[in-house]
Amino acid sequence: MSDVFVAGVGMTRVGRRSEPLRDLMAEAAHTALAEAGVETPDSIVVATMNPEEFVGDGNFASHVASHLGFAEVPAVRVETATSSGAAAVYAAFAQVAAGLARTVLVVGGEKMTHLATPRVSEIIGRSIDPYERRYGATMPSLAGLVTRALLTGHGVGPREMAQVAVKNHANGARNPYAHFRQAVTLEEVLDSRMVADPLRLLHCCPISDGAAAVVLVADRRAVRVAGIGQGADTLALRHRRELTSFRATRAAARAAFAMAGFGPERVDVAEIHDAFAPFELISLEDTGLLPPGKAGRATLDGDTALEGRLPVNPSGGLKARGHPLAATGVAQIVECVWQLTGRAASRQLGACRVALAHSIGGLATNNWVTLLEAA
Amino acid sequence: MPAVIETIAASRCPRCNLVAAPPTAYCPNHPVAMTPTEVQGIGEVVSFTTLHSPPEGFRSPLHLAIVELEGGARFFCHGAGTRGLKIGAAVAIEAVDDVYYFSHLGAIDRARLFWRRAGHAGDRVNAITRSLAKRVWKGRTRAPR
Repeated sequence: MSDVFVAGVGMTRVGRRSEPLRDLMAEAAHTALAEAGVETPDSIVVATMNPEEFVGDGNFASHVASHLGFAEVPAVRVETATSSGAAAVYAAFAQVAAGLARTVLVVGGEKMTHLATPRVSEIIGRSIDPYERRYGATMPSLAGLVTRALLTGHGVGPREMAQVAVKNHANGARNPYAHFRQAVTLEEVLDSRMVADPLRLLHCCPISDGAAAVVLVADRRAVRVAGIGQGADTLALRHRRELTSFRATRAAARAAFAMAGFGPERVDVAEIHDAFAPFELISLEDTGLLPPGKAGRATLDGDTALEGRLPVNPSGGLKARGHPLAATGVAQIVECVWQLTGRAASRQLGACRVALAHSIGGLATNNWVTLLEAA
Repeated sequence: MPAVIETIAASRCPRCNLVAAPPTAYCPNHPVAMTPTEVQGIGEVVSFTTLHSPPEGFRSPLHLAIVELEGGARFFCHGAGTRGLKIGAAVAIEAVDDVYYFSHLGAIDRARLFWRRAGHAGDRVNAITRSLAKRVWKGRTRAPR
């Protein structure tokens, strides 16, 4: 297996966008290709969770390739629900590592804000087990069940959960690409509308449009993909013995660290899938970045803030940067590369050499951990 | 408490003993066919939530719970309310128009249940004592933070 490097990255501003999805994806792709100095990649991997229903277009790999002027370049689309972007990075990594391609463009994107919220929830909810869906389960309701269990004996209370949102909004305020650029207070989070008891509105990520792209290459560049791993779990939440830890994340982290040949203690910064604020706490422990039961305290103590010991979600995370579904897993890699190469502007961290990106697909049925290292 | 305890169709994995209700053809964790079985509509709350913006076709607020049934299956169901409900609380499951609902069992319901099931007098006393002791213990250690 040969080394794989990140040659270029790009993303659009995330938020409510009027452009068609393919234009958002082209904007991100052109930025990444220009930075990589690649005119035409050997191959393209496209990530979109559900363009058929969100924007009414199918055959989306060819759709994007043709729109970019790459109708002759082989393109595939990868989908693992909300972690599709991370899965696409994996597919591209595999092509380069195996020697099937020397330059691969990964571009992920989603457009949903033009639809009414109940319709968006319904489309995202298709990733839930059909029996549980028949009982009215949506992503927030399953996350509510996980959160209720987390509030019992895991070192997490309402303040610990709320602080995740406060921190990520504060980071988002420094990110010009973020959907939300205003800070929120602990009281605002604790007083926000109840969505799926005990989850409140300000614990939940927004509905966003946006796209992100990376170019992976075989030639040596400034950032190397040190490790990448996938983990999986049952589609039905009721078939799991454990609600407060995600097997899919633990397996993904194990695989990624095994490939990298180092452990979580080497990680300087992390982008974590905080679609719901308590998921950041669960995931920090599942990835091994913090010991079990300690993520809540560490968050309240500021350890995961920009100036903390282990900055988490400097981009603002899904909570504040936004969550354009299949763009998210790629956007996390973009932020990690910016941090590792000193290009994160006013949210730039001190010296960092290793970054971790963590993405959750569905209700943690198909998760990914990617490790990037300054080469 | 319902007069008759509901019997719910389920399936068991011959390899890992996972019990699925409703039954599935294959174990989600092993590529083996499941063996048909039944579970009792009574168990303990694993977690619960109240959804305030339920999807189309459901009334707000929508109460949802995962209940671990006697026999081991974790079961997804609706409820009439979650006031005073705690993780670990004993509930009974009843089907209404093909939809399963949980309802909270109080101390008296629990005692009656054990009484009905206990084989002879000694067992009855033991069962009731265990039930009450468990309730007191849970009330202390699982209080909300």
